Amino acid sequence: MTDRRAQGEVTATEDGRLAIPAMLNGRQTTLVARPWHTLLETLRDQEGLYGVREGCGVGMCGACTVMLDGEPVSSCLVLAPQVAGREIRTVEGLAAPDGTLSDLQQAFIDHTAFQCSYCTSGFLITAERLAEEHPDASREEIRHYLAGNLCRCGSYVKILDAVADLLERRRAGRTAD
Amino acid sequence: MPEPLRLFQPTSIEEAVAVLAELGDDAKVVAGATALTLLYRQRLIAPGALVSIGRIPGLKTIEVVDGELRLGALVSHREVELSPVVRGSIPVVADAFGKVANVRVRNAATVGGVMAESDYASDPPAVFVALDAVVDVQGSNGKRSIPASEFFVAFYETALEHDEIVIGVRVPVPPAGTGAVYHKFVTRSSEDRPCVGVAGVVRLHADGTVADLRVAVGAAAETPQRFRDTEALAIGKPLDADLIAQVADAYADQVDTLDDMRGSAWYRTEMVRVWVRRAIESAAAAPAR
Ligand SMILES: Cc1cc2nc3c(=O)[nH]c(=O)nc-3n(C[C@H](O)[C@H](O)[C@H](O)COP(=O)(O)OP(=O)(O)OC[C@H]3O[C@@H](n4cnc5c(N)ncnc54)[C@H](O)[C@@H]3O)c2cc1C
Ligand code: FES
Ligand code: FES
Repeated sequence: MTDRRAQGEVTATEDGRLAIPAMLNGRQTTLVARPWHTLLETLRDQEGLYGVREGCGVGMCGACTVMLDGEPVSSCLVLAPQVAGREIRTVEGLAAPDGTLSDLQQAFIDHTAFQCSYCTSGFLITAERLAEEHPDASREEIRHYLAGNLCRCGSYVKILDAVADLLERRRAGRTAD
Repeated sequence: MPEPLRLFQPTSIEEAVAVLAELGDDAKVVAGATALTLLYRQRLIAPGALVSIGRIPGLKTIEVVDGELRLGALVSHREVELSPVVRGSIPVVADAFGKVANVRVRNAATVGGVMAESDYASDPPAVFVALDAVVDVQGSNGKRSIPASEFFVAFYETALEHDEIVIGVRVPVPPAGTGAVYHKFVTRSSEDRPCVGVAGVVRLHADGTVADLRVAVGAAAETPQRFRDTEALAIGKPLDADLIAQVADAYADQVDTLDDMRGSAWYRTEMVRVWVRRAIESAAAAPAR
């Protein structure tokens, strides 16, 4: 095992910014940011990952959700240097490399679980972790887990349907294996 | 944004403390960054240096030793919420951390962070105060332990010196037969901060008289409020509706409630009365542990 910390040293660039090594959607990369930049800004402005969205900017809406070492967090509340040596996954990392959508993404489409879709990437990341952590979650448990993700268009019922259906599909897949 | 901002990533407590001692108030500790990012980005603070403590080893432990639950400063809220060790020793601690904000904030926010932040509207502090927890800190002058009830000094103010960091919180495991609950009363959305949060701890003798009764009220005043004289009045008496009402009224009288967008001072006083009563009732009925 390589020591995560050894790979995670933040160094200064020539122009006084920080070079922050991290795994981003499965590839080793170096993020470049000022110490006060949030992960949200860095992913959008530097990496062009526009699936990471800014809503409230204060941790309440979930539009900016990314996975950090496998757990959903608000990227608006993460300072870029904090991710040194860690693993980040955004909505762009959910589909297969050839572009095939994940079963979760497909479930959102099948249930039209969005209207404007601004909140969708955050819901997908949160739901992906929910499905891993609680494969047998009840509708009530799904509601509780997703309560911190807000949808201004009010697609909640469809989102719940999509996630409940996904869990169902994965369970059926498991028993078929 | 003010430039330059220096970043330190110490790998030991001693190293972190040395940086804090040298830079004084210009340096800010960062743990989960959920509070710090907001303060900084809203320009409420303008530190010249950040001391990110995330790589200091040994601060992520959750264990029960010598009848105490010990939580390291870097343990996340979510880890406390899900920990079988916490659930098996003092379930109310897991319950209170599980009621904080949303799953994203709980994944990032740390035990040390919520203590050092001393936000009057946080949930865990009242539980720690009710359970007689102790906060372990370390600074240039070495280690010291501060009772949770003395750690929170005022609005966003703690007993920490500028060169001290929180290294952990220790919570005595209550004796078997003790019921402990935390009620979070919210007035806006379900994942909002509390308008009032009440932690209640009750143990009864076999004859129904009170062996132990502890109540701490959070989010209603600058710091968690606990009134030991009031608690003492209940000891040895039968826990009936009159006694519970007496304690609840005494808390409502004594908490100097504040006004904010989650409730007026008057409303909070009435909610303290209601939720102290309910906390005692439900702690008395809680499964014996
Ligand atoms: C949207 C949102 C909703 C929230 N809702 C709730 C809620 O309902 N209930 C609730 O209880 N909490 C809530 N919180 C969380 C809480 O108030 C703090 O944000 C959190 O506990 C801080 O933890 P942190 O590890 O992120 O600290 P940081 O942001 O890293 O630090 C907070 C402060 O503590 C200092 N600090 C951190 N660790 C240490 C240490 N070990 N030693 C010394 N100083 C230290 C920092 O310098 C800083 O001043 C919410 C937060 C957000 C963003
Ligand atoms: S933009 Fe980060 S939670 Fe709303
Ligand atoms: S679909 Fe528009 S915000 Fe959710």
